[in-house]
Amino acid sequence: MTVLTSTARKRRRTTLIGWSFILPNFIGFAALTLVPVVAALALSFMEWDSYSSPEWVGLANFERMWNNANFWVALKNTCFYALGHIPLTLVAALGFAMLLNRPLRGVGLFRTALFFPYVTSLVAVAVVWNMLFSPDLGPINQFLRAIGIDNPPGWTTSSDWSMAAVVLTSVWRDMGYYMVLYLAGLQTIPPELYEAAKVDGAGAWARFRNITLPSLRPTTFFVVIMLTISSFKVFDLVQVMTEGGPGRSTLVLSQLIFREGITQGRFGYSSAISMVLFVIVLLVTLIQFRIQQRSER
Amino acid sequence: MTRHLMKGVAAVAALLMVTTACGGGSDEARKTADGKDILSISVWNYEQTPEFKALFDAFEADNPTIDIQPVDILADDYSDKVTTMLAGGDKTDVLTMKNVTDYARYGTRGQLTDLTETVNGLPKDSYLGLDAFDLDGKYYALPYRQDFWVLYYNKKLVGDADLSNLTWAEYAALAKSKTNGDGAEKVYGSYQHVWRSVVQAIAASQTGGDQLGGDYAWMTDQYTMTLDLEKAGAIMPWGTANSQKVTYDSQFSTGKAALLPMGAWYSARLIADKAAGKHDVDWGVAPLPQTAKGAGVKTFGSPTAFAVNKNARNAAAAKTFVEWASGEKGATAVAKIGIYPSFTNDAVLAAYAGVAGMPTDDVAKKAFAPDSVMLEMPVSDKSSDVDQILKEEHELIMSGEKTIPDGIKEMGDRVKNEVG
Repeated sequence: MTVLTSTARKRRRTTLIGWSFILPNFIGFAALTLVPVVAALALSFMEWDSYSSPEWVGLANFERMWNNANFWVALKNTCFYALGHIPLTLVAALGFAMLLNRPLRGVGLFRTALFFPYVTSLVAVAVVWNMLFSPDLGPINQFLRAIGIDNPPGWTTSSDWSMAAVVLTSVWRDMGYYMVLYLAGLQTIPPELYEAAKVDGAGAWARFRNITLPSLRPTTFFVVIMLTISSFKVFDLVQVMTEGGPGRSTLVLSQLIFREGITQGRFGYSSAISMVLFVIVLLVTLIQFRIQQRSER
Repeated sequence: MTRHLMKGVAAVAALLMVTTACGGGSDEARKTADGKDILSISVWNYEQTPEFKALFDAFEADNPTIDIQPVDILADDYSDKVTTMLAGGDKTDVLTMKNVTDYARYGTRGQLTDLTETVNGLPKDSYLGLDAFDLDGKYYALPYRQDFWVLYYNKKLVGDADLSNLTWAEYAALAKSKTNGDGAEKVYGSYQHVWRSVVQAIAASQTGGDQLGGDYAWMTDQYTMTLDLEKAGAIMPWGTANSQKVTYDSQFSTGKAALLPMGAWYSARLIADKAAGKHDVDWGVAPLPQTAKGAGVKTFGSPTAFAVNKNARNAAAAKTFVEWASGEKGATAVAKIGIYPSFTNDAVLAAYAGVAGMPTDDVAKKAFAPDSVMLEMPVSDKSSDVDQILKEEHELIMSGEKTIPDGIKEMGDRVKNEVG
């Protein structure tokens, strides 16, 4: 009996100590993230201008969203951005990591250079890339003309190309960070595997497919999750580079949320859009987890 | 074990007290160390907007017991920032109303103090732009500045052309004839900034078109003229100006453009920068070109105003300031640095014309006394939604993505469907 109570007490004690360790962090999380998220969920069923008291409107906000062209345009643009940003960044990051994982003179310099965009101020990045993309005077189009393309795209001034310009800029900015993650992943692969494969006569491509890629699976999983989340909530780059324009060609969901909420003061409606964005990200992430689990089996 | 638990609880309680204490704050009026009442006023780009300092210095000289503390906000973020501040119950005493659309929103939400009684005691005829602050018979702000658009010109580049009575067709012909050079040496006949107002508000003020109406055929001529100038190479392409984030000042004050339709506020900047040796352009001011000859000078603009926050800590001093700034003394203070005030009488106008460097010739006089000044964007609860649509379609027309008729039709369709 005494033994039992003492283990129960011990267990309770361990639990409490555990709680006390996470408590400081949890208070911050609860006050700054959890409460606002729950509030947003409630607000998405209300109408609120941030000043008068909120009014319950049921599903009206979601109905409005369903019938609003801006929402569909923003959703389509966000998906388009994600479909461009995720694979391109992934491939670029992995490619550079492979290149810079071999003994090479000045490898530190190259690694730093590639990581540099990530620590550069985003506003500066957006403004400078905007200038590079300038249709008449920008170096990109001057280069394209020099190699014989007479009608280079209008980039940020053209609704067909503006999202491509944003995607290219974001890939350039983010690839350094994910490259570092991949570099760390590559260093954990035991060299014996490659040696054994070589002895067995495996070529470079076979080694990459059968050793590198499978060994990097946990890293890739993490990178894909992070890229997905960051793609769907993209805001700052678009806001500075194109402000959603020309027209609505680069309007993304977070921008619509910002516009409807902060600018127009329709916090209920903008919370409803946030909820949709949240559900999309959640679903995509869950699917990725499921795929990861299956491939581990 | 209980001792540990108690310690933990105490620590958490202490932490909570610290964090919640930050949210508090007293409602009482604050004072400086030497006993002056502190009056906080929200402003934008304080360093680059000399009118604020001019007003505050003059007011403090008149009211030695009050110390003004500006709350400086980035101009581009001003609306969003003030909206967020007010939503959070901010207690800044005086709020500068950068545009009338935001004012209408704050006013109807009950975030500003009612100043109707004060307004009813004023000589309303002496105030330009006061009507814009009439929200169903109630006033929540008093204007201190009235901007309207004029045509700036570079005397050296324009030569002796008569600018006193231009139509837009004559303006276009002039701009084409004054364009020359190539590459980095190119001088454009005119510079038209990327804002939608440069086309749309001008057209609205001169054709009588309604920007909230949902039918925008009246913009056609102004768009045709603008795109034709762009095609002829007489103005910088919209796409270049937009992607390079070109500022109008960088074009006009460096002599890269001979003409520039712009707000009267730009005079103050030209004068101040010239005095500081930043440019040496010999510039003049002419009336905005017109759609038709002989119909008088029709232009557009917007008033800027001060309002008293409903949560003001120091409401009495705030009210004193708002009234002072919009009245003759405030008007004189801003007129003296080349800003056109809302309140005008002979003395104020003389102070304005007397600013060193201000053009005073007959053409300038005509430009500074327009026959009608239409509000840049009509005030309504739909204004900001319509504004967004008009801006997006403007971008598409100007970047050549849509033809003028298609763009104008799309504007109308979207305004009818999305704003309704």
